[in-house]
Amino acid sequence: MKMFDPTTKRMGPPRLPLAPRPASLHGLRLGLVDNRKVNSATILEKIADRLAAKHGTRVSVRDMKRSPSHEIDANAVAALKRDADLVISGVGD
Amino acid sequence: MSEIDQATDPAAMIEAYYDAGWTDGLPVVPPSDTSVAAMLAGAKLRGDVTVGEIHGRNAVVTAESLAINAVMAGCRPEYAPVLVAAVKSLCHPDFAYHGPASSTGGSAMVLIVSGPIATELGINSGHNAFGQGHRANATIGRAVRLIMMNALNTKPGFLDRATFGNPGKYSFCFAEREDTAWEPFHVSRGFGADESTLTLYASNSLQQVYNQLAATPEAVLRCYADALYNLGSPNVYGFNQSLVVMGFEHADVMRANRWSRRDVQTFLMEHCRRRVADLKRAARLPDDIAPEDETTWRYAFESPDDLLIVCAGGAGSWSAVLPGWGKKWTRAITTRIE
Repeated sequence: MKMFDPTTKRMGPPRLPLAPRPASLHGLRLGLVDNRKVNSATILEKIADRLAAKHGTRVSVRDMKRSPSHEIDANAVAALKRDADLVISGVGD
Repeated sequence: MSEIDQATDPAAMIEAYYDAGWTDGLPVVPPSDTSVAAMLAGAKLRGDVTVGEIHGRNAVVTAESLAINAVMAGCRPEYAPVLVAAVKSLCHPDFAYHGPASSTGGSAMVLIVSGPIATELGINSGHNAFGQGHRANATIGRAVRLIMMNALNTKPGFLDRATFGNPGKYSFCFAEREDTAWEPFHVSRGFGADESTLTLYASNSLQQVYNQLAATPEAVLRCYADALYNLGSPNVYGFNQSLVVMGFEHADVMRANRWSRRDVQTFLMEHCRRRVADLKRAARLPDDIAPEDETTWRYAFESPDDLLIVCAGGAGSWSAVLPGWGKKWTRAITTRIE
Protein backbone atom coordinates (compact mmCIF):
# COMPACT_ATOMS: atom_id res chain seq x y z
CA MET A 1 0.00 0.00 0.00
CA LYS A 2 1.13 3.52 -0.60
CA MET A 3 0.05 6.88 0.74
CA PHE A 4 -1.55 9.50 -1.47
CA ASP A 5 -0.70 13.11 -0.71
CA PRO A 6 -3.96 15.13 -0.59
CA THR A 7 -2.15 18.47 -0.46
CA THR A 8 -0.78 20.57 -3.29
CA LYS A 9 2.76 20.89 -1.94
CA ARG A 10 4.01 18.73 -4.77
CA MET A 11 3.15 21.53 -7.20
CA GLY A 12 6.46 23.18 -6.36
CA PRO A 13 7.40 26.51 -4.89
CA PRO A 14 4.82 29.28 -4.56
CA ARG A 15 4.12 31.00 -7.85
CA LEU A 16 3.94 34.36 -6.06
CA PRO A 17 7.24 34.70 -4.20
CA LEU A 18 7.56 37.30 -1.49
CA ALA A 19 9.04 40.63 -2.50
CA PRO A 20 12.60 41.34 -1.36
CA ARG A 21 12.72 42.84 2.12
CA PRO A 22 14.13 46.41 2.30
CA ALA A 23 17.48 46.73 4.08
CA SER A 24 16.41 50.02 5.66
CA LEU A 25 13.14 51.92 6.11
CA HIS A 26 14.81 55.30 5.76
CA GLY A 27 12.94 57.57 3.37
CA LEU A 28 10.83 54.80 1.85
CA ARG A 29 7.50 55.39 0.13
CA LEU A 30 4.73 53.75 2.11
CA GLY A 31 1.55 52.13 0.79
CA LEU A 32 -1.44 51.65 3.14
CA VAL A 33 -4.11 49.06 2.36
CA ASP A 34 -7.23 49.45 4.48
CA ASN A 35 -9.22 46.21 4.70
CA ARG A 36 -12.39 48.10 5.76
CA LYS A 37 -12.65 46.55 9.19
CA VAL A 38 -13.58 48.93 11.99
CA ASN A 39 -10.53 50.95 13.09
CA SER A 40 -8.32 49.59 10.31
CA ALA A 41 -7.70 53.08 8.94
CA THR A 42 -6.98 54.45 12.42
CA ILE A 43 -4.32 51.83 13.08
CA LEU A 44 -2.72 52.26 9.68
CA GLU A 45 -2.47 56.02 10.00
CA LYS A 46 -0.92 55.76 13.47
CA ILE A 47 1.66 53.30 12.19
CA ALA A 48 2.37 55.60 9.25
CA ASP A 49 2.87 58.53 11.62
CA ARG A 50 5.31 56.57 13.74
CA LEU A 51 7.26 55.33 10.75
CA ALA A 52 7.45 58.85 9.40
CA ALA A 53 8.75 60.20 12.71
CA LYS A 54 11.26 57.41 13.20
CA HIS A 55 12.38 56.58 9.67
CA GLY A 56 11.32 59.49 7.45
CA THR A 57 8.88 57.44 5.42
CA ARG A 58 6.00 59.08 3.57
CA VAL A 59 2.64 57.71 2.51
CA SER A 60 2.51 57.51 -1.28
CA VAL A 61 -0.48 55.22 -1.90
CA ARG A 62 -3.70 54.64 0.02
CA ASP A 63 -6.07 51.85 -1.00
CA MET A 64 -9.28 50.52 0.49
CA LYS A 65 -10.20 46.91 -0.28
CA ARG A 66 -13.72 45.88 -1.28
CA SER A 67 -13.94 43.99 2.02
CA PRO A 68 -11.60 42.17 4.41
CA SER A 69 -12.49 38.99 2.58
CA HIS A 70 -11.82 40.08 -0.98
CA GLU A 71 -8.41 40.23 -2.52
CA ILE A 72 -6.88 43.55 -3.38
CA ASP A 73 -7.86 45.16 -6.67
CA ALA A 74 -5.42 44.68 -9.56
CA ASN A 75 -5.20 48.43 -10.22
CA ALA A 76 -4.24 48.98 -6.60
CA VAL A 77 -1.54 46.34 -6.90
CA ALA A 78 -0.16 48.14 -9.95
CA ALA A 79 -0.13 51.46 -8.11
CA LEU A 80 1.59 49.94 -5.10
CA LYS A 81 4.22 48.29 -7.28
CA ARG A 82 4.84 51.55 -9.09
CA ASP A 83 4.66 54.08 -6.29
CA ALA A 84 5.41 52.32 -3.01
CA ASP A 85 8.51 50.66 -1.55
CA LEU A 86 6.76 49.22 1.49
CA VAL A 87 3.14 48.18 2.00
CA ILE A 88 1.18 47.73 5.21
CA SER A 89 -2.20 46.00 5.15
CA GLY A 90 -4.17 46.66 8.30
CA VAL A 91 -6.71 44.60 10.17
CA GLY A 92 -8.82 46.48 12.63
CA ASP A 93 -11.87 45.42 14.67
CA MET B 1 0.32 9.92 -7.60
CA SER B 2 2.84 10.65 -4.88
CA GLU B 3 4.27 7.64 -3.14
CA ILE B 4 5.27 8.71 0.35
CA ASP B 5 5.40 5.63 2.49
CA GLN B 6 4.64 1.95 2.48
CA ALA B 7 2.38 0.00 4.80
CA THR B 8 0.57 -3.28 4.66
CA ASP B 9 -1.83 -2.92 7.57
CA PRO B 10 -4.92 -0.78 6.84
CA ALA B 11 -5.10 0.34 10.47
CA ALA B 12 -1.46 1.41 10.33
CA MET B 13 -2.19 3.28 7.13
CA ILE B 14 -5.03 5.17 8.81
CA GLU B 15 -2.62 6.11 11.60
CA ALA B 16 -0.11 7.28 8.99
CA TYR B 17 -2.69 9.73 7.59
CA TYR B 18 -3.21 11.05 11.11
CA ASP B 19 0.54 11.40 11.56
CA ALA B 20 0.79 13.33 8.29
CA GLY B 21 -1.83 15.83 9.52
CA TRP B 22 -4.20 15.06 6.67
CA THR B 23 -7.39 14.17 8.55
CA ASP B 24 -10.24 16.17 10.07
CA GLY B 25 -9.89 14.23 13.31
CA LEU B 26 -11.88 11.24 12.11
CA PRO B 27 -10.24 8.25 10.43
CA VAL B 28 -9.95 8.54 6.66
CA VAL B 29 -10.30 5.89 3.99
CA PRO B 30 -6.78 5.23 2.65
CA PRO B 31 -6.91 5.80 -1.12
CA SER B 32 -5.60 3.35 -3.68
CA ASP B 33 -4.71 3.72 -7.34
CA THR B 34 -8.01 2.08 -8.17
CA SER B 35 -10.20 4.24 -5.94
CA VAL B 36 -8.53 7.50 -7.00
CA ALA B 37 -8.86 6.55 -10.68
CA ALA B 38 -12.52 5.72 -10.15
CA MET B 39 -13.09 9.09 -8.47
CA LEU B 40 -11.42 10.90 -11.37
CA ALA B 41 -13.61 8.94 -13.78
CA GLY B 42 -16.62 10.00 -11.72
CA ALA B 43 -15.51 13.62 -12.06
CA LYS B 44 -14.85 13.10 -15.78
CA LEU B 45 -11.53 14.92 -15.35
CA ARG B 46 -7.84 14.21 -15.81
CA GLY B 47 -5.80 14.41 -12.63
CA ASP B 48 -3.74 17.41 -13.69
CA VAL B 49 -6.74 19.62 -14.47
CA THR B 50 -7.10 22.66 -12.20
CA VAL B 51 -10.62 22.62 -10.75
CA GLY B 52 -10.25 25.84 -8.80
CA GLU B 53 -7.74 28.35 -7.52
CA ILE B 54 -7.76 30.94 -4.75
CA HIS B 55 -6.06 33.92 -6.33
CA GLY B 56 -3.32 35.48 -4.30
CA ARG B 57 -3.05 32.50 -1.98
CA ASN B 58 -0.98 30.15 -4.11
CA ALA B 59 -3.76 27.68 -3.43
CA VAL B 60 -4.96 25.33 -6.14
CA VAL B 61 -7.30 22.36 -6.22
CA THR B 62 -6.40 19.88 -8.94
CA ALA B 63 -8.72 17.09 -9.97
CA GLU B 64 -6.23 14.67 -8.47
CA SER B 65 -6.25 16.37 -5.07
CA LEU B 66 -10.05 16.55 -5.22
CA ALA B 67 -10.21 12.83 -5.94
CA ILE B 68 -7.77 11.85 -3.19
CA ASN B 69 -9.61 13.89 -0.58
CA ALA B 70 -12.95 12.55 -1.80
CA VAL B 71 -11.80 8.97 -1.38
CA MET B 72 -10.41 9.81 2.05
CA ALA B 73 -13.80 11.26 3.03
CA GLY B 74 -15.61 8.09 1.97
CA CYS B 75 -17.31 9.44 -1.15
CA ARG B 76 -18.57 7.24 -3.95
CA PRO B 77 -17.27 8.17 -7.45
CA GLU B 78 -20.69 9.38 -8.55
CA TYR B 79 -20.50 12.13 -5.91
CA ALA B 80 -17.49 13.68 -7.63
CA PRO B 81 -19.43 16.10 -9.90
CA VAL B 82 -21.00 17.62 -6.78
CA LEU B 83 -17.52 18.16 -5.35
CA VAL B 84 -16.34 19.77 -8.57
CA ALA B 85 -19.23 22.23 -8.32
CA ALA B 86 -18.40 22.84 -4.66
CA VAL B 87 -14.75 23.62 -5.41
CA LYS B 88 -15.74 25.96 -8.24
CA SER B 89 -18.04 27.71 -5.78
CA LEU B 90 -15.33 27.94 -3.11
CA CYS B 91 -13.01 29.54 -5.65
CA HIS B 92 -15.59 31.95 -7.09
CA PRO B 93 -14.39 35.55 -6.57
CA ASP B 94 -17.72 36.59 -5.05
CA PHE B 95 -17.54 33.87 -2.43
CA ALA B 96 -14.30 35.55 -1.33
CA TYR B 97 -12.90 32.40 0.26
CA HIS B 98 -10.40 34.01 2.59
CA GLY B 99 -12.95 35.57 4.93
CA PRO B 100 -15.41 32.76 5.55
CA ALA B 101 -12.64 30.17 5.58
CA SER B 102 -10.31 31.90 8.02
CA SER B 103 -12.49 34.14 10.20
CA THR B 104 -12.85 33.83 13.96
CA GLY B 105 -16.55 33.39 13.14
CA GLY B 106 -15.83 29.78 12.23
CA SER B 107 -18.21 29.30 9.33
CA ALA B 108 -19.52 25.97 8.18
CA MET B 109 -19.57 25.57 4.44
CA VAL B 110 -23.23 24.79 3.90
CA LEU B 111 -23.81 22.77 0.71
CA ILE B 112 -27.35 22.77 -0.67
CA VAL B 113 -28.01 20.36 -3.53
CA SER B 114 -31.04 21.07 -5.72
CA GLY B 115 -32.43 19.26 -8.73
CA PRO B 116 -32.64 15.68 -9.95
CA ILE B 117 -29.15 14.64 -8.85
CA ALA B 118 -30.14 14.89 -5.20
CA THR B 119 -32.47 11.91 -5.54
CA GLU B 120 -30.08 10.05 -7.85
CA LEU B 121 -27.29 10.25 -5.27
CA GLY B 122 -29.49 9.69 -2.24
CA ILE B 123 -28.75 13.05 -0.65
CA ASN B 124 -31.14 13.36 2.25
CA SER B 125 -33.61 16.24 2.23
CA GLY B 126 -36.11 14.87 4.73
CA HIS B 127 -36.00 13.71 8.33
CA ASN B 128 -32.70 14.63 10.00
CA ALA B 129 -31.58 16.48 6.89
CA PHE B 130 -28.73 18.15 8.80
CA GLY B 131 -27.92 15.07 10.86
CA GLN B 132 -26.17 11.77 10.66
CA GLY B 133 -26.99 8.59 8.83
CA HIS B 134 -26.75 9.34 5.13
CA ARG B 135 -23.53 8.60 3.31
CA ALA B 136 -23.90 11.20 0.57
CA ASN B 137 -24.66 14.03 2.99
CA ALA B 138 -21.90 13.03 5.39
CA THR B 139 -19.13 12.34 2.91
CA ILE B 140 -19.71 15.13 0.38
CA GLY B 141 -19.61 17.74 3.12
CA ARG B 142 -16.62 16.06 4.70
CA ALA B 143 -14.73 15.94 1.41
CA VAL B 144 -15.16 19.69 0.92
CA ARG B 145 -13.68 20.38 4.34
CA LEU B 146 -10.78 17.99 3.70
CA ILE B 147 -10.13 19.75 0.38
CA MET B 148 -10.07 23.06 2.25
CA MET B 149 -7.68 21.71 4.87
CA ASN B 150 -5.36 19.78 2.59
CA ALA B 151 -5.47 21.29 -0.90
CA LEU B 152 -6.22 24.87 0.17
CA ASN B 153 -4.08 24.69 3.30
CA THR B 154 -6.87 25.98 5.55
CA LYS B 155 -5.78 24.18 8.70
CA PRO B 156 -7.16 25.00 12.17
CA GLY B 157 -4.82 27.35 13.99
CA PHE B 158 -3.10 28.34 10.75
CA LEU B 159 -5.34 29.90 8.09
CA ASP B 160 -8.47 28.73 9.92
CA ARG B 161 -8.64 31.01 12.97
CA ALA B 162 -12.11 30.06 14.25
CA THR B 163 -12.76 30.99 17.86
CA PHE B 164 -15.06 28.00 18.35
CA GLY B 165 -15.82 26.66 14.92
CA ASN B 166 -18.95 24.56 14.88
CA PRO B 167 -19.86 20.92 14.25
CA GLY B 168 -20.98 21.83 10.73
CA LYS B 169 -17.32 22.34 9.88
CA TYR B 170 -16.92 18.56 9.75
CA SER B 171 -19.67 18.26 7.16
CA PHE B 172 -22.78 20.18 6.17
CA CYS B 173 -24.57 18.98 3.07
CA PHE B 174 -28.27 18.48 2.48
CA ALA B 175 -30.73 18.45 -0.40
CA GLU B 176 -33.75 20.62 -1.04
CA ARG B 177 -37.13 18.92 -0.65
CA GLU B 178 -38.77 18.47 -4.03
CA ASP B 179 -42.36 18.78 -2.77
CA THR B 180 -41.99 22.38 -1.77
CA ALA B 181 -44.45 25.23 -1.68
CA TRP B 182 -42.63 27.10 -4.41
CA GLU B 183 -40.45 26.67 -7.44
CA PRO B 184 -37.17 24.88 -6.62
CA PHE B 185 -34.48 26.99 -5.02
CA HIS B 186 -32.13 26.67 -7.97
CA VAL B 187 -34.86 27.78 -10.38
CA SER B 188 -35.31 30.89 -8.24
CA ARG B 189 -31.59 31.50 -8.81
CA GLY B 190 -31.86 31.32 -12.58
CA PHE B 191 -31.30 27.64 -13.39
CA GLY B 192 -33.56 25.23 -15.21
CA ALA B 193 -35.80 22.84 -13.33
CA ASP B 194 -34.13 19.87 -15.02
CA GLU B 195 -30.66 21.06 -14.03
CA SER B 196 -28.93 20.20 -10.78
CA THR B 197 -26.97 22.73 -8.74
CA LEU B 198 -24.78 23.08 -5.71
CA THR B 199 -25.18 26.21 -3.62
CA LEU B 200 -22.34 27.07 -1.27
CA TYR B 201 -23.17 29.30 1.66
CA ALA B 202 -21.06 30.27 4.69
CA SER B 203 -22.80 30.31 8.04
CA ASN B 204 -21.35 30.37 11.52
CA SER B 205 -24.47 29.26 13.37
CA LEU B 206 -27.69 27.32 13.10
CA GLN B 207 -30.79 27.89 15.20
CA GLN B 208 -33.83 25.67 15.00
CA VAL B 209 -37.07 27.63 15.25
CA TYR B 210 -40.20 26.05 16.70
CA ASN B 211 -43.79 27.10 16.20
CA GLN B 212 -46.51 24.48 16.40
CA LEU B 213 -49.53 26.80 16.79
CA ALA B 214 -49.20 29.34 14.02
CA ALA B 215 -51.77 29.20 11.24
CA THR B 216 -50.67 32.41 9.56
CA PRO B 217 -47.41 33.20 7.75
CA GLU B 218 -46.88 36.32 9.82
CA ALA B 219 -46.84 34.39 13.09
CA VAL B 220 -44.33 31.82 11.84
CA LEU B 221 -42.11 34.39 10.23
CA ARG B 222 -41.96 36.61 13.29
CA CYS B 223 -40.18 33.74 15.01
CA TYR B 224 -37.69 33.50 12.16
CA ALA B 225 -37.10 37.25 12.23
CA ASP B 226 -36.44 37.21 15.97
CA ALA B 227 -33.95 34.35 15.61
CA LEU B 228 -32.18 36.02 12.70
CA TYR B 229 -31.61 39.28 14.52
CA ASN B 230 -30.84 38.62 18.17
CA LEU B 231 -28.40 40.96 19.89
CA GLY B 232 -25.48 38.58 19.56
CA SER B 233 -26.10 37.78 15.93
CA PRO B 234 -23.53 38.57 13.26
CA ASN B 235 -26.48 40.05 11.38
CA VAL B 236 -26.26 43.10 13.65
CA TYR B 237 -23.53 44.37 11.33
CA GLY B 238 -26.16 44.45 8.65
CA PHE B 239 -26.56 43.34 5.08
CA ASN B 240 -25.46 39.75 5.39
CA GLN B 241 -27.23 37.10 3.46
CA SER B 242 -29.12 34.63 5.62
CA LEU B 243 -30.42 31.14 4.95
CA VAL B 244 -33.85 29.98 6.10
CA VAL B 245 -34.52 26.26 5.80
CA MET B 246 -38.25 25.89 6.11
CA GLY B 247 -39.78 22.68 7.39
CA PHE B 248 -42.71 21.45 5.35
CA GLU B 249 -45.28 22.05 8.09
CA HIS B 250 -44.35 25.71 8.06
CA ALA B 251 -44.22 25.63 4.25
CA ASP B 252 -47.76 24.29 4.33
CA VAL B 253 -48.81 27.39 6.26
CA MET B 254 -47.32 29.52 3.49
CA ARG B 255 -48.98 27.45 0.79
CA ALA B 256 -52.39 27.50 2.50
CA ASN B 257 -52.23 31.27 2.69
CA ARG B 258 -50.89 31.66 -0.86
CA TRP B 259 -47.67 33.29 0.24
CA SER B 260 -44.89 33.19 -2.34
CA ARG B 261 -41.17 32.90 -1.63
CA ARG B 262 -40.92 36.61 -2.42
CA ASP B 263 -43.66 37.36 0.15
CA VAL B 264 -41.63 35.52 2.76
CA GLN B 265 -38.42 37.30 1.81
CA THR B 266 -40.10 40.70 1.91
CA PHE B 267 -41.75 40.08 5.28
CA LEU B 268 -38.48 38.97 6.81
CA MET B 269 -36.60 41.91 5.35
CA GLU B 270 -39.15 44.29 6.88
CA HIS B 271 -39.22 42.57 10.29
CA CYS B 272 -35.57 41.72 10.86
CA ARG B 273 -34.85 44.99 12.61
CA ARG B 274 -33.89 46.33 16.02
CA ARG B 275 -33.93 49.73 17.59
CA VAL B 276 -30.57 51.47 17.49
CA ALA B 277 -30.87 52.18 21.21
CA ASP B 278 -31.14 48.45 22.00
CA LEU B 279 -28.06 47.74 19.92
CA LYS B 280 -26.13 50.49 21.69
CA ARG B 281 -27.20 49.23 25.15
CA ALA B 282 -25.72 45.90 24.21
CA ALA B 283 -22.58 47.61 22.87
CA ARG B 284 -23.16 46.16 19.43
CA LEU B 285 -23.00 49.69 18.07
CA PRO B 286 -20.60 52.38 19.31
CA ASP B 287 -21.41 55.76 20.85
CA ASP B 288 -23.87 57.01 23.44
CA ILE B 289 -27.62 56.57 23.05
CA ALA B 290 -29.31 59.59 21.52
CA PRO B 291 -33.03 60.24 22.08
CA GLU B 292 -33.85 59.42 18.46
CA ASP B 293 -32.14 56.02 18.81
CA GLU B 294 -35.18 54.79 20.77
CA THR B 295 -37.34 55.13 17.66
CA THR B 296 -34.78 54.54 14.92
CA TRP B 297 -34.69 51.07 13.38
CA ARG B 298 -31.63 49.32 12.05
CA TYR B 299 -32.41 46.62 9.49
CA ALA B 300 -30.49 43.40 8.91
CA PHE B 301 -31.21 43.14 5.18
CA GLU B 302 -31.38 45.65 2.39
CA SER B 303 -32.95 43.40 -0.24
CA PRO B 304 -35.41 40.47 -0.23
CA ASP B 305 -32.81 38.58 -2.24
CA ASP B 306 -30.51 38.61 0.79
CA LEU B 307 -32.79 35.94 2.26
CA LEU B 308 -32.20 32.47 0.84
CA ILE B 309 -35.31 30.33 1.37
CA VAL B 310 -35.01 26.57 0.96
CA CYS B 311 -37.41 23.82 2.03
CA ALA B 312 -36.14 20.65 3.72
CA GLY B 313 -36.67 18.51 6.80
CA GLY B 314 -39.19 15.98 8.03
CA ALA B 315 -42.43 16.11 9.99
CA GLY B 316 -42.53 18.51 12.91
CA SER B 317 -43.15 22.17 13.50
CA TRP B 318 -39.54 23.16 13.02
CA SER B 319 -37.56 25.28 10.66
CA ALA B 320 -33.99 26.51 10.88
CA VAL B 321 -32.31 29.86 10.40
CA LEU B 322 -28.62 30.19 9.61
CA PRO B 323 -27.35 33.76 9.83
CA GLY B 324 -24.70 34.58 7.30
CA TRP B 325 -21.10 35.46 7.84
CA GLY B 326 -19.71 38.91 7.32
CA LYS B 327 -21.77 41.74 5.80
CA LYS B 328 -21.28 41.71 2.04
CA TRP B 329 -17.91 40.08 2.48
CA THR B 330 -19.15 36.85 0.92
CA ARG B 331 -22.10 35.77 -1.22
CA ALA B 332 -23.74 32.38 -1.68
CA ILE B 333 -22.64 30.83 -4.96
CA THR B 334 -24.81 28.47 -7.01
CA THR B 335 -22.98 26.30 -9.55
CA ARG B 336 -24.41 23.87 -12.08
CA ILE B 337 -23.46 20.24 -11.43
CA GLU B 338 -22.19 18.89 -14.75
